[in-house]
Amino acid sequence: MTGRRTLLLRFVAVELPLLAILAFAIGPYVWMVLTSLRPDSDLAAFPLSYAPSAVTLEHYRALLAHTSFAGNLLNSLIVACGAVIVGLCASVPAAYGFSRFRFRGRRLLMTQFLVINMFPVVLLIIPLFVVMRSLGLLDTFIGVVAGHSTFSIPFAVWMLTSYLNAIPRDLDEAAALDGATRLQTIRLVLLPLVAPGLLTTAIYIFVTSWNEYLFAMMLSGDHVRTVTVALQLFVGEFTVQWGLLTAGGTLVALPVTLLFLIVQRRLVSGLTSGAVKA
Amino acid sequence: MTDPARPLGRGLIPFAFLAPALAIESAIVLYPVLRTTWMSFHDVSLFRPGSAPFVGFGNFARAFADPVFWLSLEHSLIWIGVVVALQFLLGFATALLLNQSFWWRGLARALVMIPWALPSVIIGLMWTWMYDYNFGVVNDLLMRLGVLREPVAWLARADTTLPAVMLALVWQGFPFFAVTILAGLQTVPKEHLEAAVIDGASALQRLRHIIIPAIADVLATVLLLRTIWVANSLDVVLVMTGGGPGYATYTLPFYAFLKAYSAMEFGYGAALSLLLTALLLLVVIAYVRRTAQTLAS
Amino acid sequence: MKRRAFLKLTAGAAIAGAVARPAIAKPVTVRWWHHFDNPQASAAGLIARFEAANPDIKIVAESIPWGGGNDYYARLFAAVIAGNAPDCAMVKLNNLSRLMEMQALEPLDERIAAWPERGDISDAIWSINKAPDGRRYYLPLQYVVIYLYYRADLFAAAGLPPPVRFEDFEAAARALTRGGVFGFGMRGGAGGYDNWGPFVLGGGASFEAGGMISEAALKANRFYVGLGTQAKVIPPSAPTDGFQQIIANFKAGRTAMAIHHVGSSNDLVAALGDRVSAAPVPRAPDGKGWTLFGDESSAVLAGSQQKEAAFQWIAFLSTGANNVDFNKLTGQLSVTTSGAALDPIHQPRFVAASAASLASAAVLPNSSKTPDFVASVWPTNMQQALLGQIEPDAMMRAFEAHFRG
Repeated sequence: MTGRRTLLLRFVAVELPLLAILAFAIGPYVWMVLTSLRPDSDLAAFPLSYAPSAVTLEHYRALLAHTSFAGNLLNSLIVACGAVIVGLCASVPAAYGFSRFRFRGRRLLMTQFLVINMFPVVLLIIPLFVVMRSLGLLDTFIGVVAGHSTFSIPFAVWMLTSYLNAIPRDLDEAAALDGATRLQTIRLVLLPLVAPGLLTTAIYIFVTSWNEYLFAMMLSGDHVRTVTVALQLFVGEFTVQWGLLTAGGTLVALPVTLLFLIVQRRLVSGLTSGAVKA
Repeated sequence: MTDPARPLGRGLIPFAFLAPALAIESAIVLYPVLRTTWMSFHDVSLFRPGSAPFVGFGNFARAFADPVFWLSLEHSLIWIGVVVALQFLLGFATALLLNQSFWWRGLARALVMIPWALPSVIIGLMWTWMYDYNFGVVNDLLMRLGVLREPVAWLARADTTLPAVMLALVWQGFPFFAVTILAGLQTVPKEHLEAAVIDGASALQRLRHIIIPAIADVLATVLLLRTIWVANSLDVVLVMTGGGPGYATYTLPFYAFLKAYSAMEFGYGAALSLLLTALLLLVVIAYVRRTAQTLAS
Repeated sequence: MKRRAFLKLTAGAAIAGAVARPAIAKPVTVRWWHHFDNPQASAAGLIARFEAANPDIKIVAESIPWGGGNDYYARLFAAVIAGNAPDCAMVKLNNLSRLMEMQALEPLDERIAAWPERGDISDAIWSINKAPDGRRYYLPLQYVVIYLYYRADLFAAAGLPPPVRFEDFEAAARALTRGGVFGFGMRGGAGGYDNWGPFVLGGGASFEAGGMISEAALKANRFYVGLGTQAKVIPPSAPTDGFQQIIANFKAGRTAMAIHHVGSSNDLVAALGDRVSAAPVPRAPDGKGWTLFGDESSAVLAGSQQKEAAFQWIAFLSTGANNVDFNKLTGQLSVTTSGAALDPIHQPRFVAASAASLASAAVLPNSSKTPDFVASVWPTNMQQALLGQIEPDAMMRAFEAHFRG
């Protein structure tokens, strides 16, 4: 048919602009990757050269063999997964409550959730440190997970509420007419439909926890060091370990990217005419 | 819409659903928030733990009389307006593009996450180096393309520093919009779109009349959330310029941070943050009122 | 009478007996906070050596991110407030008054007086480390002194000797600013007061009352700012250049002179070899000079339950060969006279320049206003002056107001 033309049209209208956007998105990252593959002496070279004088894996070798970076990546993974689990367990019910109920104080409670996030975290950090200490949660996974989920929950509640609001109440009522209990409605009707939103919220909590620095720095020590703190350790008082830093920076983005590559397939339209009619 | 068999608003059922979230928040963050609020009304110096005299609105009055406060506020307003708008527009466009089908769609979606996945220290250092006068990629590329004849000290000039840092923030944050709006686009009923195509509506018309209204709530929510996030962000500014040159990149949260950690005047820093919070609160209240109206109708 | 005297003697004997009886050694754990520039550096070797010599003391070392100083001290202050402070930590003089106000430090006078190795640290360093209340809370650990790096080859080609006075400095900078190279890589960003100090504090300004707005002070500052605004011997990026930028620029040959310290010397030698050398910072016409003493000390925290053991550890680190091994981890100079003679990690010409600079080395005043001066008041005013947004004199008035106003 018009296969050729639609292909060309799609290329110009979709793929080309996307390539430009991606060039912008990953350009700086590619620059960092290039830097991580060159010897340190290249960094002092003037004028700037794009191609490395020699490709070397020494920074990666030093990073993985002589520092605790691999372990830090694992710690970050554990903390982020923990934050997602805790965050979702708290925000999904809360979002359901805000979306499907009308009650006194609803707006106030929704607003107060956000107030916490409106405070710059840096000012909360020292009293928070005192709280964590009194709860005995310093330098523990639970402590950092608690800190991260606390600051993700408000945004997650709001996001999930808006995704749930997009699903018409008719479906709830239809399910109720079919004899489903509230919990069954949630499980069998709503959750599948809000799956893209759930996924996005989970991604949001994961990424926020993954690249978070302040809590991780203040609330953890040598036992629970996350990757963001490990990277900061490469920025010293008198020197910056550029090789280790760029190698670490290259690696730190990969888990999130790979994770999203796997889950993004679930980001498909969950709302079909079939569901509404039935 | 109300089902008489299941009266809304009655009973503690909604609060049961809110309980886990509320419990975690109160246990962890309630005390710090209250303490920070308390500090804003006292003259608190971190290294004088014993004496914290009550000063009422003294800290706030000091802020209003402080030219650096007004300068920081001005920068913050520009910062929020420009950064959120650009992040949103770029993110929205990206989401629309990523919603189309083409064979490398999965890879594109994953790659778009990269700016968002990097910690602020990496972002700050990388962009600072990219803007470097001698070794920066930005200067090099612009000179090769003929746009510049000699390098520009992007982070050392009062007129270029704030836009330069804002670009780094736009880069960092647009993936958030791309991903959340992409998820929102999944809730647009397919049959409406198909009907519109059959009716001969153009892509732009479909966007304006079907897509945007369908995801309006999601758009408004993520805009609100991002505005709050951007308003409070100070990591990247701290690493890239430390507020300089001069006061060119002082934003309100950065100034509050500086007062709290460098001058150790926690009371004043807390007051500055509360002023920002109050500002954001106005935005939130306006939003909540409007959505309550639309939902009630 | 007799009975009272008898009781006194018995009591005295009992006490003496108690002291003479060997204390039952109970294993104690000492928590020590440190920050090393290179995360591959580990104090494990030193700890092993110490624990072998002191079997009843176990050292737990925690490395804390430096974060420009903000993170390290935020952690330390928060820990003190929350009652979770370490037993001992690496500290700097710029936070001494704050830690004192928080009553976080244990005075070390008696322990230092009884310390056999105290003679190995020079009197100059001891006097710099004293607290304003006359007591000693800090035990010197290592130091650097700010000096001037210069491109020996460029100077030789131009027929210039390394600069000694301010005028020589300006003349050399002007002569070498050509062909895309700038004579002086001025550090205008955070921490750049160590570039400003030699010219302005060495030129007659001081932190005494009125010391920033005296005629000499204003003149010296106008000269320094003029290097940028009039002589134009500094790169356009100077206002916000930090130590990374000035070192990178100097390494790549974009600047002919830079002011820093021995911590960067190995890096520069790796890039420039014999082409880089160092000299003390230039002095005023009257021969007086000022340079920054970059200190690092150890302190015992007041809340510690193991003060004696903690002191043993920090004293160990400041002793002779141990100190030299510690410096291998940090790249700074040994505070001990015996260690200084041994320095195995730095090239001799840089150690010599540091030693020559010690005589005029000083620290910023021990005031609780100093950290804010360093982090905010100095950079904002310096940058504005360099950009021409304010007059140089306004800068000095702002400093005076900050400390006295």
